[in-house]
Amino acid sequence: MKTWQRSLIVACALLALFSGVAYAQTPGLSAVEFPYTGNRTAVWIVAQLHTLFGAFVLGTPIFIVISEWLGYRKQDLRYDRLAKEVTKVTVILFSMTALTGGLFIFVLLAAYPQFTSWFINQFYLVFAVIYPLLFIGGTIVLYAYFYTWDAWKGEKKGRHIALGVLLNLLCMVTMFVINGPTSFMNTPLKAEGISVQDLLAAASLWDKIANQSWMPLNLHRIDGNVAFGGFMTGMIAAYMYMGAKTQEDRAYYDWMGFVGNLIAVGATLFQPLTGLLLAYEMCDYDFSFCPYMMADQLSMFFEMQGAMIGLMFLAMNYYAWLSLKRIEGAERVRMTILAPIVMVVLPFVMVAVLNVYWIPDPKSLLFLLPLILAPFLFGRFIPKTVSARVVIKIGFLMIIVSDAIWLTPRGFAATGANLVPGLEMPSDWDILASMPAKISAIFTLMFATVVNYVLYNRAIKQGTILWGKIDFTSQFVLILLAFTSIWTMGLMGAVRSLVRKYFHTYSLIPDFTAESFTPTLSYSAWWITGITVVFFAVVSLAVMVALRPSESKGHVPESAPVPARAK
Amino acid sequence: MGNVMKKLAIGLVVGGILVGVAKALEFPFVFQMLFLGFAMLGAAVFMLLDAPPLRTMSGGKSLCALVAFYLLLCTVYIAGASFLPQFDPEDEKGKIAKILKSQIDASEKGKTEELIARAKALDEQVKALEVRLKTLGVDQAVPAQQAGIPPAPTTSVATGDFMKLGEEQWQLMECYNCHKLRGEGGKKRGPELDNIGSFLTVDEIKQKITDPKSFMAEGFEKEWEKGRMPDKFKDLMEPKDIQALASWLGTFKNTSVNTPRPIKKK
Repeated sequence: MKTWQRSLIVACALLALFSGVAYAQTPGLSAVEFPYTGNRTAVWIVAQLHTLFGAFVLGTPIFIVISEWLGYRKQDLRYDRLAKEVTKVTVILFSMTALTGGLFIFVLLAAYPQFTSWFINQFYLVFAVIYPLLFIGGTIVLYAYFYTWDAWKGEKKGRHIALGVLLNLLCMVTMFVINGPTSFMNTPLKAEGISVQDLLAAASLWDKIANQSWMPLNLHRIDGNVAFGGFMTGMIAAYMYMGAKTQEDRAYYDWMGFVGNLIAVGATLFQPLTGLLLAYEMCDYDFSFCPYMMADQLSMFFEMQGAMIGLMFLAMNYYAWLSLKRIEGAERVRMTILAPIVMVVLPFVMVAVLNVYWIPDPKSLLFLLPLILAPFLFGRFIPKTVSARVVIKIGFLMIIVSDAIWLTPRGFAATGANLVPGLEMPSDWDILASMPAKISAIFTLMFATVVNYVLYNRAIKQGTILWGKIDFTSQFVLILLAFTSIWTMGLMGAVRSLVRKYFHTYSLIPDFTAESFTPTLSYSAWWITGITVVFFAVVSLAVMVALRPSESKGHVPESAPVPARAK
Repeated sequence: MGNVMKKLAIGLVVGGILVGVAKALEFPFVFQMLFLGFAMLGAAVFMLLDAPPLRTMSGGKSLCALVAFYLLLCTVYIAGASFLPQFDPEDEKGKIAKILKSQIDASEKGKTEELIARAKALDEQVKALEVRLKTLGVDQAVPAQQAGIPPAPTTSVATGDFMKLGEEQWQLMECYNCHKLRGEGGKKRGPELDNIGSFLTVDEIKQKITDPKSFMAEGFEKEWEKGRMPDKFKDLMEPKDIQALASWLGTFKNTSVNTPRPIKKK
């Protein structure tokens, strides 16, 4: 696709946005009925696709500029090639983000004209001025960044990286701005003793944007987008590895998958924390969110989320395990015995401590921090060590135990109202379904992964990586990680919307349509899968379009001999 | 093959032990199967860890394997989600319609629908009058009642129905998610209410519902400080619904239940 064609798509999307804003001013609009899907699902599909493309074009620039900077600093051309290849895909998908964004406004207006008019008027300045300006600015900087890649080399590289940083800043601000209206729908302004309508009438735009769940959502999405960028890079690398014809290409794409996965794992480790913060703030805003999510209509959505995250942690560690197998000298790597001991006792100690000192009581840290840091601080003073293989296997065991704790519900019923004795856990064992147990499971997953990756890193430093010799199964693991992370994003996106119950904007604008009920998890899973498949099909096509021609033209020889020592 | 058989045997033994222990501890069958499932998952993971490496595939084979893998993922995720207990939306649809009824009536949509209905009724009555005038002669006066304005609806709720309405509000507002009553619902998020009628009058209960900070239950100081009880019911509920809920709760005077004493704060 040529630049003018991409620009045309972006211009059309902006035109759609402006038309939407103008159309929203028309009084007495009536809703259109979307056939087959219904109005709510139609909005859901377009909104989720827009969110996924948005996450790609906001998340990958962070990944790209870090990679470019690493290449510049280490004078390793592989990083530069990686950054440029991902940028090529991002440029194509930028147009898709714009296209789905424009479509989203139209579908929303057509499906819910009254609400959309009200909503756009609440954030008129954002939709009519700030967001379009940021989007145009982002588009210009992205194209400038891409087209100056070859021209700004050598001494000018610093300038190019600075342009990348500017792109990231613009993307970040764009996300922060649009998160304002998004989070407002869940947690609009409220104050004791004042009616919401009065409060809203007196509120400034900033008051509406900086609502209670805005910053937690920003943090969750920044972190999520970095992980997303990493997983997508891993997926691109897996595609290219599968199609590679030479050992040199295989070595490069093996390395690319390794880097993508490493960054994704780093960011994913923080995902449960930022997710918990978001949930905490939402429950603090209105406590009825909490039982609705954890014990009522959405409880099985969270059960599914637990299964997905558990699977992702298993896959991340399995990739490290497969990587370790192709490192010569990995068998010599050992670790203090404290690491597996802490891994085994952590979930149980944590449940006990959190039962006494529940969050946000800082006293729990007095017990938990020394325990978690013990292997890293005191390990060197204890002579007893164990092999990497044993530590990682114990790690896998604890990941399965943690998954079991996380996934054991209080009862097998979709709502608390349907719980009967045959489906409910014995009350003596309620602790297994308590929040301290779930949080201890999450932390154990994180801890086991950190220990495994510390070992992996030691093996890389002490041994020699045979790039391009990784078990072929690992490429499927990278694809599984990308697919599962996007599926989970779709699931949690649905939860964030459904938690508003029968409101467009919680407690403020009710949804009077017949579709304002909670759909079944099965119905949701069909649509989430469909959306994920469409997204994957478009991204796969973009990868083929962006990266295949470069192969025929031939690229600059890279400095990656095979086998290469990873430093 | 030896690797698979060994891990499978270990998985079955561990699973068997877990099922046995769960049975002894009176976990329902579905939980016993869940624990067995985790043991088998563990066996599968350890089989994978020690499995021989997969050989690099050619481009065409990779593509086929990739498509098959995506199909497998889609099937597993949809099947997994469908296998879990499903919430029946029909349970909620009626609830939502009841909760939003007053707001729908008060909304522009409701007003428009009402106006259209009135206009239709007027049109029909005018037509009927025209027919009647033709048969009776034009000099007859038209009574005001026949001019088209329908009589205002009268709503009178008998005491029994009123209590029923209160109980219905308890269900609609999902109070049971936080409060235990008649041994059902509540997970210690809020106080048990079986004896609330002995401590508070109907007006005081009403005050607590509309202004959650007005009373604090003993032992729920943290929850009260954090404002755990949502301050939204005054906006969500009609005054008569609040009255009905408060009146119904006021009838609960079961002294054998340890309902915490409410302390007046406002």
